[in-house]
Amino acid sequence: MPRMRTFLVVAGAALLARRALRSRVAASPLWPMPALENPTSGRGRKGSQARQLTVTERTEEAEGVVRLRLEGTELPSWEPGAHIDLVLPSGTVRQYSLCGEPATPGSYTIATRLIEDGRGGSREVHEQLHEGTVVEVRGPRNRFPLGDSHAYVFIAGGIGITPILPMLRQAEREGVPWRLLYGGRSRASMPFLAEIEKLAGAGTDRVTVVAEDEDGRPDLAAVLAGAPPYAAVYCCGPEPLMDAVAALLPDGPDAPTLHTERFAPAAPAPAGGSAPFEVELRRTGRTVSVPSDTSVLRAIRDQALPDLPYSCEQGFCGTCQQRVLAGEVDHRDDLLTDAERDDSLLICVSRARGDRLVLDL
Amino acid sequence: MSNTASLRPQPVASEHIPLKARNVDFDWADTPLHWIPGDPSTTHTINVLHLLLPAGERWFVHVYKQVLPHIRDARLREDVIGFIGQEAMHSKAHDDVLPHLKEQGLDPTPYTAQVDWFFEKLLGDRTLPPGRARKWWLLERVATIAAIEHYTAFLGDWVLNAEVLDAKGADPTMLDLLRWHGAEEVEHRSVAFDLFMHLDGGYRRRARTWAVAFTALVFLWQRGVRFFMTHDPSLVDGKASFREFFRAGRQGVLPTTGAMARSIPQYLSRTYHPSQHGSTEQAVAYLAGSPAATAAEARTAGGA
Repeated sequence: MPRMRTFLVVAGAALLARRALRSRVAASPLWPMPALENPTSGRGRKGSQARQLTVTERTEEAEGVVRLRLEGTELPSWEPGAHIDLVLPSGTVRQYSLCGEPATPGSYTIATRLIEDGRGGSREVHEQLHEGTVVEVRGPRNRFPLGDSHAYVFIAGGIGITPILPMLRQAEREGVPWRLLYGGRSRASMPFLAEIEKLAGAGTDRVTVVAEDEDGRPDLAAVLAGAPPYAAVYCCGPEPLMDAVAALLPDGPDAPTLHTERFAPAAPAPAGGSAPFEVELRRTGRTVSVPSDTSVLRAIRDQALPDLPYSCEQGFCGTCQQRVLAGEVDHRDDLLTDAERDDSLLICVSRARGDRLVLDL
Repeated sequence: MSNTASLRPQPVASEHIPLKARNVDFDWADTPLHWIPGDPSTTHTINVLHLLLPAGERWFVHVYKQVLPHIRDARLREDVIGFIGQEAMHSKAHDDVLPHLKEQGLDPTPYTAQVDWFFEKLLGDRTLPPGRARKWWLLERVATIAAIEHYTAFLGDWVLNAEVLDAKGADPTMLDLLRWHGAEEVEHRSVAFDLFMHLDGGYRRRARTWAVAFTALVFLWQRGVRFFMTHDPSLVDGKASFREFFRAGRQGVLPTTGAMARSIPQYLSRTYHPSQHGSTEQAVAYLAGSPAATAAEARTAGGA
């Protein structure tokens, strides 16, 4: 008989458990598994690729500068300092900083200056993009993010104001003290002057506008010397301006940190070309040289880490993705999203744009 | 010859083939929600693959990347490297179906977020002391992958031979995804098992991890079908049922219950080797004519 009793107890318990489970599952069909807070699956990689946007507004922002508003649906959000790749009707691709309000969904704003003797990109923007034109846009990406700081010093030269403008608005909103040195050829040619002066408020000395035809050259040394200790300096403008700022940056333990953005890549690699360069493996503490006919992957496997994972060696499977700590990457894969390209690369196909890369290996 | 020799796995050498990932791309724009016309129940039973595989196969890749330094056999190492790339592409191809389901009003995220948790947290890397504990957890996961691969090879072989799906007018793009995936699963069906045998090969671990993998698969699968049937916007009072499942098996649009039951003793047999089941030749023949695989081939040849 004890056997019978055991059977009854087990059967009874099973029935009760079944009932309890049923009601719970009925109430919540996906009970009882936890979920990942930021799910990885189903985001779809295609969403980060090119989008077709329509030019909905074109205004003359200053002498030789047009401001374009590009509208589309489900545009990714962005942070100050971000830029987009604009694919022009001829197929030329140019980067333009976003200078609108990040909080505005459904549109991006850019401003471009016509450069008479440039490579033709700005001329195409000025001559071909009108209200109603549809253009292809990739991104946004951010190589010039505004980090947290207790004080900012912004230095902008001419059209270099575009990434700086959203930074000013954010600093102002967050109540972080800031100063701006804004230089240009003449007041008439400097975009966003009115908005910036309004942002600074009347009677303050937070903004110094230096127009070359009236005031001569800006006194960079004075601005940098006057920067508060540990301030963050953000500079965007012509190459000589950024070089001068870098050279004049005070030294010392409490010196300000410098962040710059170049309009064009420092040393554009010829398409398809493969110059040799060096790769530093920061955690391993070794440096590997990559000859022109060898991939980064092969070089590292042969010279330092034979067990590095990889598979397709053609830039689509993603197995060999590694984190980049420093150096400009010439991305040659078909896989990574723009966000991933900001801090990683596929070492089986991509190479350095300059002469050195630092990897987290 | 000792009598234990006959109890070792017996591979069929002619079934081995070098592996490479294929850069496939599918366009889902024209695929209907019920891609087997008039059979939502079977459609969703197969759709569960899109819920489990993105996270699952990403996890395979994650584990195998850690295993690479432990492999002491050059050929197996080449196989594992090929396997990793194929699995990475499978994961991505199935992941691309999910936004399409969402567009059609069937948002899979509540379910896939749980599968993500299952593979990334529950079966993910744990904070373990280096040495035995860490090695144990790695081997456990390698053995689990071998058990799951037994079922992916089983399904791959099934879908390559499931001619009823064509007769029923199933969506050609979806069939190509399933058969391209199935064919690659058949191609690499021995890799996970060979790797497990190379690193450990203990029968008790094989049996234990099989039980875990089998239970988890049954649990996740029935849940997935119930999830889809309940949330499908085009079904009024949709419900998953065993009767539908048996019916689909009899019709040939799903594997039969009998075939599934028979696959259990296969894996648990001491002489089992994946190369004893399925046909590499058939898989290679399918890939040679698959629209996605041939397009991938052309893309690779043109791009490289």
